[in-house]
Amino acid sequence: MSGAHTGMPERLANRLKDRRTELGLTQAELAERVGVTRKTVNTVENNVFTPSATLAIKLARALDMTVEQLFWIEP
Amino acid sequence: MSSYLIGLLVGIGAGLLVLAVTKFRTRNRPMSVAEQAEFLSKRRARMLPALAAIFLAQQASYFSTPVTAAPRPVDTVKISAWLVLSIVLLAALATKGFWAHSREVRNLIDDENTRANRNHAMQSGFLFAMGAGVCVYVVTMFTPVTAREAVHVMMSAGIATALIQWGFLERRAHRDA
Repeated sequence: MSGAHTGMPERLANRLKDRRTELGLTQAELAERVGVTRKTVNTVENNVFTPSATLAIKLARALDMTVEQLFWIEP
Repeated sequence: MSSYLIGLLVGIGAGLLVLAVTKFRTRNRPMSVAEQAEFLSKRRARMLPALAAIFLAQQASYFSTPVTAAPRPVDTVKISAWLVLSIVLLAALATKGFWAHSREVRNLIDDENTRANRNHAMQSGFLFAMGAGVCVYVVTMFTPVTAREAVHVMMSAGIATALIQWGFLERRAHRDA
């Protein structure tokens, strides 16, 4: 049963840091590609901030992945 | 010229001076839009708690003057400067701030995470202002409180809370894991 049904808190996990490092990009470079500040990339990587659908799509495109490959829900 | 007007002009003058010093300090640093946004964003994170402290310290001049005593001209100037600072801080909280910078820099600085942090801080500020309002209401049951005192307490609680909360969230966002 998913977290939404059980009332358990759900968390949007991501492999942003792994993929960014794989491509040899810095946080600042990725931020510039998607038009946000380095701080925003940092908070998404550290799971401090949950990005909007728009930003998630932009990040996925910049890292040459699908949104589902980059982000997933953890119960 | 009334002392309130002098206070107002002093407040505006101080604001313009801060703006000029800021511009002068960054004049020889050729930076890209992203670098400027990063630099300003970090500076804002450091400045917000300091601004809250300055803002609260200004209250001392108002509350240290007895209600019955006629305010000295210097107190009037300080109180007027407090009003100007309150309006400037409210405008900075409600808009992107950094009015002296280009549109590109301002748009980048006010990105998704900053907007979320700012909204969260405004929410906390509103709740604290309402809480202060409730406290003032209870106090009026036991002792008279003037409208100006009530406004001071509520504005101070709301604005200072929002500034501190925003500063905390921005500092956390800049911190690497």
